[in-house]
Amino acid sequence: MADSASGATDKSVQVKLVLLGEAAVGKSSIVLRFVSNEFQANKEPTIGAAFLTQKCRLEDRVLRYEIWDTAGQERFHSLAPMYYRNAQAAVVVYDVTKAASLEKAKSWVKELQRQANPNIVIALAGNKVDLVQPSASTSGTTSSESEDEADDATATPEETAGGEQAESLRQVPRDEAEAYAKEAGLLFFETSAKTGEGIVEIFTEIAKKIPIEHILASTRGAGRPGAGGRPGAPDGGVTLDENAAKGKDACNC
Amino acid sequence: MSTISTQLRNFKEPTKEQLTQLFFSLPPTLVDQAEQDGLEKMEINAIVSLSDDAEEDSYGGKLHLIPPYLSFLSVDHKSVRFTIPLCTIRRVEKLNARAGVYALSLALWHGMKVVVQLTSLRPTADLFCSLLRDALKAELQKGHMKLVKGFSKTCYSETLVAASSGMEENPSTQKLQQEAEQNSEGNETSYHGGLGLKYKFPGDPRRLREASKIKLWTKYLEKHGRNLTLLRYPQCTRLTQVGLPNRLRGEMWEVLSGSIYLRFVHPGEYLRILEENQGRTSTSTEDIEKDLHRSLPEYSAYQSEEGIGALRRVLQAYSFKNPELGYCQAMNILAAALLIYMSEEQAFWLLEVLCDRLLPGYYSPSMHGTLLDQRVFESLVQRCLPMIHDHFQEVDVQLSVASLPWFLSLFINSMPMIFACRIMDCFFCMGPKVLFQVGLAILKINGEKLLEIQDDGGFIHLMRDYFASLNESAYPDSQDPRSRAINRFQELLLISFREFSTITDDTIHAERRKYRSEIIYSIESFSKRAAVRNLKSLERFTKDQGGLIYDALYRAMCIAPPPAPVLPPPSLILGSNDDKPETRIGLKTFRVFLSEVATWARDEKIIVNGFQERVDREVAEHEFIDRLFFFWDTACRGALSFQDLVSGLDGVMFNDLMENIEWFFNLHDKNKDGYLTKDEVLTLSESFLFIFRYEVGDAYLGAISRFMTNAFEYGDTLLPRPEGEAEDSPPPEIGHNQPYLNLATFRMVVLADEILESFFETDLSASFRLEPVQLSDLPAGNVGFLGDLLSNLATDDNKKLFNRFTDQIGKTIGKHQVVHRPAIGRYKTLEEPKARESLLTPSMRRSPSKSTLSESSTITSVPSSVSISTDVSGQSTTSAPAGHETSPMTMVQTANAALMERTPFAIDDAKDEEEEDEDFFGDEDDGVMDEVDAFLEAHDNGLTQVERDVAKDLLNAKPVS
Repeated sequence: MADSASGATDKSVQVKLVLLGEAAVGKSSIVLRFVSNEFQANKEPTIGAAFLTQKCRLEDRVLRYEIWDTAGQERFHSLAPMYYRNAQAAVVVYDVTKAASLEKAKSWVKELQRQANPNIVIALAGNKVDLVQPSASTSGTTSSESEDEADDATATPEETAGGEQAESLRQVPRDEAEAYAKEAGLLFFETSAKTGEGIVEIFTEIAKKIPIEHILASTRGAGRPGAGGRPGAPDGGVTLDENAAKGKDACNC
Repeated sequence: MSTISTQLRNFKEPTKEQLTQLFFSLPPTLVDQAEQDGLEKMEINAIVSLSDDAEEDSYGGKLHLIPPYLSFLSVDHKSVRFTIPLCTIRRVEKLNARAGVYALSLALWHGMKVVVQLTSLRPTADLFCSLLRDALKAELQKGHMKLVKGFSKTCYSETLVAASSGMEENPSTQKLQQEAEQNSEGNETSYHGGLGLKYKFPGDPRRLREASKIKLWTKYLEKHGRNLTLLRYPQCTRLTQVGLPNRLRGEMWEVLSGSIYLRFVHPGEYLRILEENQGRTSTSTEDIEKDLHRSLPEYSAYQSEEGIGALRRVLQAYSFKNPELGYCQAMNILAAALLIYMSEEQAFWLLEVLCDRLLPGYYSPSMHGTLLDQRVFESLVQRCLPMIHDHFQEVDVQLSVASLPWFLSLFINSMPMIFACRIMDCFFCMGPKVLFQVGLAILKINGEKLLEIQDDGGFIHLMRDYFASLNESAYPDSQDPRSRAINRFQELLLISFREFSTITDDTIHAERRKYRSEIIYSIESFSKRAAVRNLKSLERFTKDQGGLIYDALYRAMCIAPPPAPVLPPPSLILGSNDDKPETRIGLKTFRVFLSEVATWARDEKIIVNGFQERVDREVAEHEFIDRLFFFWDTACRGALSFQDLVSGLDGVMFNDLMENIEWFFNLHDKNKDGYLTKDEVLTLSESFLFIFRYEVGDAYLGAISRFMTNAFEYGDTLLPRPEGEAEDSPPPEIGHNQPYLNLATFRMVVLADEILESFFETDLSASFRLEPVQLSDLPAGNVGFLGDLLSNLATDDNKKLFNRFTDQIGKTIGKHQVVHRPAIGRYKTLEEPKARESLLTPSMRRSPSKSTLSESSTITSVPSSVSISTDVSGQSTTSAPAGHETSPMTMVQTANAALMERTPFAIDDAKDEEEEDEDFFGDEDDGVMDEVDAFLEAHDNGLTQVERDVAKDLLNAKPVS
């Protein structure tokens, strides 16, 4: 299918992504940060799940994320299968300042691995790192459009050291979560929806890992007969431009 | 960590009487109280007329006396209804009318007179009157009559009526009138109102035609009563359907939903709850805090501390009042919407009615009501809009992704506030069926586009676009300006109530009944999967085996419910949430659990009485079982979790000979010092005796006695001798609680005996069996929803009755025989049973060649309960379908009946709305009503001309002196 494609840039690949995690770990904030073009000051309350879309350019093709931001309250758990069914990607979020939220995240991962689409790409995101970073680096706080600056602040918090008080808030050590993610085969990020740190990376890394050709092949005849197949990538494989991915236009079309 | 709840099994289908009470929105606690006070209920055929107003027809229907209320519903179930607290009836007179006519005149607090003609036979009517008298007296004694005056001051309708007419019906209105004559800010304290009074109501009042609506309502309320005494004639429903005026909306919601009765009888409770729980925090209060700023944030009041504070107080008060439900996301949206139109106290009680009655189970921890109604909605879509349903199936789109929030937040979150409020108007007026009707209409209107969508996302987008366009003309290209003026929202309501009038309360009830067990089953199996998945370790069990252990635990919890966890509400949904206590069972539940999985932990009697052969199973009690309980309670909590049970069973079910011997030894070595005392050896022997109590023959008895002899012999021999004494000298005396027998010796003693060896080699592990538990066999069935599935004969009690009966006959004819089923069943020495068998004549047996006993004996060493499970399933399958079959039939019938009743409906009746001018009230009012007239169904008052004449006559009749 990919071979026959015209390579027109407006063709997009649809990726269904679901956000899961304990209440108040910042799922909605992560999405809003990512989709901030559509962001309005008033957050839409999550009833069941909020539905948002965001296009994301990867070198020669456009991914269209359909994001299901699920309600975090425990009693909505039994509704979650409705949203993660057929999802190609999942972001499981925990709060680095709350150890229990990682446990909940692990149980979500388990559930996804057993119940969801077998090829699902799962990313683990430890949110709210701004709370455990030395106050100096968070002083720039957060104008909501400051994604560029924020993206530059990618240094790992531990190495920047200092701020003992801030660091003491941390309940989930990066190493521990990273080791778990590696063992469970997950992408791993520490993020801050507040500063924007690590947010775009989640979605770019997921985009790289997703078997796009597979999705294209399995998409019903929705008038999207494959993107890609450009001369630059004759084998149909996805080559991502690392720099573009980090930059602002990466996910901002 | 897992929390397991058996709560859903306690659901009972409401009785007919309860349904009536639900329909009339009567607070159950009050009705129960009145019943306890000895006040009787009664219903009677009656014709109701309204005296001061000749415009209203008389209506035939049923008058219900349900102390402390008097309710009426007209024959057609929709034209006229009312619910009046008895304490608002000021005077009852028997009317002097034509012979053979029995009529009462009821003077209500707001001054209207309702004439009720009782059309039943005289003795019945007399009885009704005397019961009514008793009930009224009781109300008078309680002093409720006095409360009415103060309460009505809190109602905006009083101000409205007083201001408009200045009528002197009662002193209170006069006072209110004076207040009303000042300006609207001045009297804010006297009546309850919402944030909208200060922060403005959503929508443009001119476009909403507030003034003319208020005028129409004022007129209606003057003549038909208001707040507590509102009589709902067709005009009331029509006025509601065109949208309630903002200022009156809060109170009308209260009245139409019936929450006003709660507020009336619980004065001050809202504030008391807040006061008593001040400063208290809980999971719910934390959750509430997170959502406060996400509840209709675009409304200005919710950007201020005043609005946020009100929202916080209402939600917290409710979570304290109903800790089991607590707080569920979406309630914040609901409460935020309510508070725009009503006071905190009003919103609090309306929330209670919503959670409890109008949206039952929607916000509970398992959200079963939500899931159930989504299932019902899907089934209605399948029936009413099969093409859409089929298309969704084909492209694998789930209806609920869009429709769930519709139901969960009453469309508030889905469509613009002014429209959502109008749906709520109808919802409170006509009940939950409205949500389904509107939902179906949305799908129908968008039918063509829906057939083109390919995935969930497309569905959501389409719905979003549609809701955003509700303000636009539904027929922009129409030649007729009146058609062009109809906006999409109006079209939506027209289609909802015209095309889907076949969806009635009965339809919804029947559908819920139909799918309830399916939903409960799926919730339960979901939490089962989650519980198994969330185990820290499955040990050596497979996932399926873990599920079977869960089933046994679940069943045990149904039979012997463990004490409820003290703090937060019990929940079906499992998770590692640290504020939820893990479900743990006590000894009592454990005994039942063990009886499910271990053959020796139950007493099974095979009973043959000539009619049937059955197995009666009872839970055994023995010190050995208690010992096992504490042995598995490794954390010494005095209770076992699911994980403890899994680990415990793992410790015994996969053992080989040596491991089993060690396990058994450790079980009896209480202080874990590696030695059994003499006492413990005795206890251990008793354990053997208990396990082998039903084995056939005396081989086991012999084995145990040999074991004891050997144990003490070896024990004595191996006791360390004091220095210098010969090996064969008599053993030294040791206390009964001194270390005596170690594992090695115990092993030696056991292995010396063939029977014990085989017991430890295979039989012990094999005596634990994980077998499927029949869902319909669960004990709650006879009280809960399963009871409805099983036909009458199949309830547990009846089964027992039937069993006793056949036993009696069996005994009389000498065919009764009881045999205990052995736990191990290795030996089949049959001397004794053979003797008993001779009681049976061969012809009476089901299987001609083998005796029933030997039949079961031969199976025993493999799965001894095979015969049980087939037995059980046999019983349940025969009975279960009976309940299922009836409901769809009645549903179809009611649907058909409703279809026949459907009245014609013309969309063109709606007139032009654009050319409105607030100054011309006359025309204006007609315009408003035209939209309503579209809804107006020719209401049948169910009376003949003669009856109508009599009713008219009565209005002029004089009271009997």
